[in-house]
Amino acid sequence: MSSNVTVASPVENMIQAKTEVTGNDPKSLISMRNIWKTYQMGTEKVHALHGVSFDIPRGEYIAIIGPSGSGKSTLMNLIGCLDTPSEGEYWLNSKNVSEMDDDELARIRNQEVGFVFQTFNLLARATALHNVELPLIYGGVGSSQRHDMAKKALAAVDLTERMLHKPNELSGGQRQRVAIARALVNHPSILLADEPTGALDTHTSMEIMDLFERLHEQGNTIIIVTHEPDIAARAHRVISIRDGQIEKDDRIR
Amino acid sequence: MERSGVPTDGPLSNTSTRAGLLARVRSLPLFKLTAIWEAFRVATASLRSNKLRTLLTLTGIVVGVTAVIAVVTIIKGLDKTVAQTFSSQGSTVFTISKNPQIIKSREDFIKFNRRKDVTHEDAGTIRRLCTECWRVGIAANAVEEVKHADQKAESVRIRGVDPITMFDIDGVSIDAGRIWTEGEGDSGRDICVVGPDILKNLFNDASADRALGEEIRVGGRPYTIIGVLEPLGSIFGFSRDNVVYIPYSTYQKAYGARRSLVVFIQVPDADQLEPAEDQVRTIMHNRRGHTQDDPDDEGFSLETQDVFLNLYGSATSNIYIVTIGVAAVSLVVGGIVVMNIMLVSVTERTKEIGIRKAIGARKKDILTQFLIEAVTVTAIGGAVGVGTGFGLAYVISALIGFPLLISVTSAVLGVGVSSIVGIVSGLWPAWRASKLDPIEALRAE
Repeated sequence: MSSNVTVASPVENMIQAKTEVTGNDPKSLISMRNIWKTYQMGTEKVHALHGVSFDIPRGEYIAIIGPSGSGKSTLMNLIGCLDTPSEGEYWLNSKNVSEMDDDELARIRNQEVGFVFQTFNLLARATALHNVELPLIYGGVGSSQRHDMAKKALAAVDLTERMLHKPNELSGGQRQRVAIARALVNHPSILLADEPTGALDTHTSMEIMDLFERLHEQGNTIIIVTHEPDIAARAHRVISIRDGQIEKDDRIR
Repeated sequence: MERSGVPTDGPLSNTSTRAGLLARVRSLPLFKLTAIWEAFRVATASLRSNKLRTLLTLTGIVVGVTAVIAVVTIIKGLDKTVAQTFSSQGSTVFTISKNPQIIKSREDFIKFNRRKDVTHEDAGTIRRLCTECWRVGIAANAVEEVKHADQKAESVRIRGVDPITMFDIDGVSIDAGRIWTEGEGDSGRDICVVGPDILKNLFNDASADRALGEEIRVGGRPYTIIGVLEPLGSIFGFSRDNVVYIPYSTYQKAYGARRSLVVFIQVPDADQLEPAEDQVRTIMHNRRGHTQDDPDDEGFSLETQDVFLNLYGSATSNIYIVTIGVAAVSLVVGGIVVMNIMLVSVTERTKEIGIRKAIGARKKDILTQFLIEAVTVTAIGGAVGVGTGFGLAYVISALIGFPLLISVTSAVLGVGVSSIVGIVSGLWPAWRASKLDPIEALRAE
């Protein structure tokens, strides 16, 4: 990318040069500082992200949009702590995630991140309740407390009655609500949704988006990664990614 | 980097982090159990959902463990039988004979046949000269058909003995009637003392008293029953009660004097066995010298019941070795099968592994999960093998007729060894699963 592309952010300061990286901004839940992600493809180096920086304060409802191949998925994987940047710093809830090893990342994913996937990604053989309990199991929560927390999370998405059903006995919308309950059960810092309505019909999509709005009103920080403008339009801030860089960062609400 | 000194994100997040930390600390000792229980649940669920595959996976382990458990149980049962049998005759008895009880080769057979017969005179000399000996008796055996009225029994052991202390040396006692007197014995009367099998086979299992005074025909010669023996039971399926005792002088009349006999010598105590053997060996050396053409041969065989026990011991230890070999092979093959299936399972469940990792499973959580799955399969295989092994041993013990000794140790060992097989063969697949990249794994279908 040419260096004269300016990436404007109305909310945060842009920091372009690596030397100016200052690290954690204590006001932000997420601080991305000049993030680079480079893949080695044979002899060639491919930059999926080059020099991405932004901040997300607590309680924001934000959409990340971009066409396929834009680096959107790479960014999502970094935000969700499934991967670490090649260069740059990522601060999540005052923790420098960019320097963590696999097991520390697993811990962070367990405690700080709630994932919602396009294809729900529920365990097929487990009941809704057990699916929701799963993060608590890996978090080491004892069984009675775990049951209570999972039931509360399912109640929050109106699925109390279906909690002993397996995913194949649930509709698409219900499955996604189970996934959202699973994402929320550990009270994570961020709710990270990857195309959460991609596998749902329009009506159900709207229901799920209404649920996200409700969760946002309750104080959750929500990040939705999507390529659908309709979905992005319901967020309060939209970051557009193109060719591995931030193209636009607009507060729309 | 640590949290900078400035108070950060407001009261809500602060308390929630602290609560999270607290919950984590509080549940630390619980964690392992929780994770293992989860792993066990996942394991059993996945085994149940692939019943046929699980069954086939189990087979190798089951076969191996069955073989070991069955053989160990059977041999333990036989051991007990053998120990009981030989203790009835006791380790206080040894014999002098022309041929040893066990002949290992044709050459030996030829060599032993060149020896002089052991005779009545040999026994007499031993009785006279051996001061360490307590009881000295002679016995000779024949196998005959025995008849009573229209009933007959084949392959009955006819045992000619002298003097009557041979009954004590043989460890048999009278149940009904009496033993012949010395006078009756010496005069070669046609009288006999029979084992309980004779009653069963020739007298329709009548009471012992009914048979007393009856006449049976042994090889055409009539004998009057004057006593019936207590039952001894059977060993390896062969009854020890299918016997007719007659006085040795009667035996000589019926079968001739030229047959070689066996001298039985008993000492009061096992400690005195060795000095008595030395004395008898010296006495026999003086009487025999050496076998013609073979200066290395003593010319007689001096044996204790240890010969049988040694043969039995070496036979069973060979069986043990073969069985352990079979078991080892089938456990190795079983382990490879388990490893293969676990690799397939890891590939099939890549997505599941991705999901688990995304929501916070660490490497060791995934490792534990698949290890426990492998161990569950093999432990179940081991348990089934223990069951079928005991079952097989039960059937065989019922057919042959020896006591069934169920050993808890071998059951624990069977399940334990197969669990170890599970750990060994599950380790690599589990390690591969734990190393999967969560992003790649989530992309799998």
